[in-house]
Amino acid sequence: MALQCCYGGSTIQTLKLASIPSTAPLSSSAICSPFKTLTITPSAHLIKALSSPAAVVDSTTTHVVKPQWKAAIDFKSIVENKSAVAENLKNRNSTASLELVIELYERLLQLQKEVEDLRFERNTVANKMKGKVEPLERQRLIEEGKNLKEKLVTLEEDLIKLTDALQREAQCIPNMTHPDAPIGGEDSSTIRKTVGTPRDFTFSIKDHVQIGKELDLFDFDAAAEVSGSKFYYLKNEAVLLEMGLINWTLSEVMKRGFIPLTTPEIARSLVVEKCGFQPRGDNTQVYSIEGSDQCLIGTAEIPVGGIHMDSILADSSLPIKYVAFSHCFRTEAGAAGAATRTLDMATEDLGAPAYRKYDIEAWMPGLGRYGEISSASNCTDYQSRRLGIRYRPESSTSPPTNTKKSKGRNLSPPEFVHTLNATACAVPRMLVCLLENYQQEDGSVVIPEPLRPFMGGIELITPKSN
Amino acid sequence: MALQCCYGGSTIQTLKLASIPSTAPLSSSAICSPFKTLTITPSAHLIKALSSPAAVVDSTTTHVVKPQWKAAIDFKSIVENKSAVAENLKNRNSTASLELVIELYERLLQLQKEVEDLRFERNTVANKMKGKVEPLERQRLIEEGKNLKEKLVTLEEDLIKLTDALQREAQCIPNMTHPDAPIGGEDSSTIRKTVGTPRDFTFSIKDHVQIGKELDLFDFDAAAEVSGSKFYYLKNEAVLLEMGLINWTLSEVMKRGFIPLTTPEIARSLVVEKCGFQPRGDNTQVYSIEGSDQCLIGTAEIPVGGIHMDSILADSSLPIKYVAFSHCFRTEAGAAGAATRGLYRVHQFSKVEMFILCRPEESNAYHEELIGIEEELFSKLGLHFKTLDMATEDLGAPAYRKYDIEAWMPGLGRYGEISSASNCTDYQSRRLGIRYRPESSTSPPTNTKKSKGRNLSPPEFVHTLNATACAVPRMLVCLLENYQQEDGSVVIPEPLRPFMGGIELITPKSN
Repeated sequence: MALQCCYGGSTIQTLKLASIPSTAPLSSSAICSPFKTLTITPSAHLIKALSSPAAVVDSTTTHVVKPQWKAAIDFKSIVENKSAVAENLKNRNSTASLELVIELYERLLQLQKEVEDLRFERNTVANKMKGKVEPLERQRLIEEGKNLKEKLVTLEEDLIKLTDALQREAQCIPNMTHPDAPIGGEDSSTIRKTVGTPRDFTFSIKDHVQIGKELDLFDFDAAAEVSGSKFYYLKNEAVLLEMGLINWTLSEVMKRGFIPLTTPEIARSLVVEKCGFQPRGDNTQVYSIEGSDQCLIGTAEIPVGGIHMDSILADSSLPIKYVAFSHCFRTEAGAAGAATRTLDMATEDLGAPAYRKYDIEAWMPGLGRYGEISSASNCTDYQSRRLGIRYRPESSTSPPTNTKKSKGRNLSPPEFVHTLNATACAVPRMLVCLLENYQQEDGSVVIPEPLRPFMGGIELITPKSN
Repeated sequence: MALQCCYGGSTIQTLKLASIPSTAPLSSSAICSPFKTLTITPSAHLIKALSSPAAVVDSTTTHVVKPQWKAAIDFKSIVENKSAVAENLKNRNSTASLELVIELYERLLQLQKEVEDLRFERNTVANKMKGKVEPLERQRLIEEGKNLKEKLVTLEEDLIKLTDALQREAQCIPNMTHPDAPIGGEDSSTIRKTVGTPRDFTFSIKDHVQIGKELDLFDFDAAAEVSGSKFYYLKNEAVLLEMGLINWTLSEVMKRGFIPLTTPEIARSLVVEKCGFQPRGDNTQVYSIEGSDQCLIGTAEIPVGGIHMDSILADSSLPIKYVAFSHCFRTEAGAAGAATRGLYRVHQFSKVEMFILCRPEESNAYHEELIGIEEELFSKLGLHFKTLDMATEDLGAPAYRKYDIEAWMPGLGRYGEISSASNCTDYQSRRLGIRYRPESSTSPPTNTKKSKGRNLSPPEFVHTLNATACAVPRMLVCLLENYQQEDGSVVIPEPLRPFMGGIELITPKSN
């Protein structure tokens, strides 16, 4: 399922950095330096980014939101492919500011060089003082050294602020897009595949709520009292259906070589962010735990993405395929042998992490329309650059290896893996589909054959006699 | 599983009520009232309870914690059985203050009478004014009426404060105790039943953490990074074991007539409190959701208890038996110590819970039924365990009687709790407001509201019971440690095999 993700302007409300003296010359006029005096006049929005308030105050908490972690963003590639990146931003309707990112990056490179140069100067001075030196010259060198040290400290602080500002802006840039993905909004998504046709009913049909009421399968009212709206109890055969769906799906996917997992349903908000979600934005989909940095997961993609955080995997271990079962929690703030169609999602509907996304919609006769039942995204290296998941490609001359003993042989430098995620079964949507599509005129519901062995063999849900 | 519950002094830190003028006479000296002037001098701790600060400030939030709801406590019964209640408090080591509750209650009764009397006076005065009255007399009556009204307003405010104070103190009083429950602390719990004996291993055994590592069944380290300590991933056959345990347990308990349920895992803190837990105490076991009044459930007992909140059930619908599957979340605050390694004490776990609502006279029998089901389930899985009749200091506030089952965990070298079965009698139902209309012997049984007008008894509170059918992590500890083989494999108990695609053994994987 798509969750909107972006770190951009709408969630960060006021930015404040101690102001960087933007026009002061970098070298003292009193000392004759071998390096040119660099006077930089940053652009208007660069000044704005750098001189806005230091503490990002999130309206929902009083936490200072300075980027807590760094994404390993490929800035060089962004600069080299500037027009492709700009076009991508346009196609995705993104609010990220490419110009600003490039400016900050170029400023960063300059500043890094200045810092390097200053360090070199300072070492030179320090070295001069090791040999025999006249007292007057020694005094001069000491002052020069002190001067350089002060400048260095200032520049190093600027470097940190600049790096943070760059991270903050660059994290807003969404993933690139597959060349075949349709460009535009919802209506531009194209149909890749259609399976089946909507069932032709010879009687007037009910929606799943009505069916559930008559077959005593759900309780929404009690749940509204106990928990709030959009909660529910499943009862009787609906429980068997849920268990059947989960068990069958797990077994089907395991047969295809996926490693089964159950996962924590509480995760640190850091991990949630690294996967591309916004725990603390307005209209966030994410529940937070009071008094901690933890959140409830909206999808197992998060805890599974986190398993190999900050690791370097052996090439021979790839691909790693997981099938994970978890409960999922979403606030739904601001926010619905059956016929299905697979959509190739258009650029404005891809979440920030997705390079390409296919959604499957199933016909829901009770609703009279198609409803999303799953989503499959290729996130390429968007998440892995944030989660820090890399691997060492086997060079063609070295033998395959699983262990760290391979250090010293022909090792390639580590590269970022690609990650993908896809819904195998989202139970409530499946229940809607099954109940509405398989209803009979007499009020009973047929259980699809594949599920029956996982449900103690039952073939039909029938009305209960009272 | 027992969760500590009490609303008592330790969680309510400062209490403030506007002070009640405790010695002002209740009637104006200027008016000749037929009623005696009542001057009450409340006891020392009554004054303290009533004149402490109004806002209860919880250290973890800035919410004012005035009781948000009322428990239908039987005060009359408390007064009538004062010494039994006092003895129960002593046996349970409770910090509730019985004296204070009784004082507040008696004060409340008096105040209610005074309010009634004042209202009567006021009506009398109002009636007098309806007839023909001399202007001077009319003036006097108007003043008297105004006077009475002011006194009434003050007394009615006092009544509210008194009712709140009484609720707050009385909610601390734990349930009564079954006469056969052993009295004392942990060591006084007695063994009701023992099944099986510890397995005799002919090789040196491993604990479940070691077994899990070698068979690639868990990941604690990744979970610590992603979520924090005491979280875990299950992998491979452990996932099948979890699914197998849940499915088998559900099907076994359903066979015995229990209605299967899955439940919300988020509940309003109100409901959590009514079940007898403290979401906002120090060392609370309960996770709260930021920016809302919601919490994560620590057990399905909470959402199931809430299903029939504020309802009157038909007698013929009892007993209602539910078997509910949910994930459970516990902070485990204050639970330090050695036995926290691996799966023994975790923040999140799957559990199948049995819950019964029944007529009062049947709850003891259903308690026996629940423990019988648990003992049968664990026997079928081949576990060695003992059933304990829990002593008074270890009963939670809601439990009238509690049986815990502890199973032998060879890797830990001791017994560990795998389930708990409590008879809460009417403790929870008086808070959740769950009642039923007992059938009178002369009226035919009926399910509908059409019975109004026939011989209907007044509604009474149901009894509620809850019992763990399967708490997955503890079961995993037991199964892995008890069924390990010398070659590192683990045998799957027979009843679970059909629910796990037929596998009989978990074997080490070749790398």
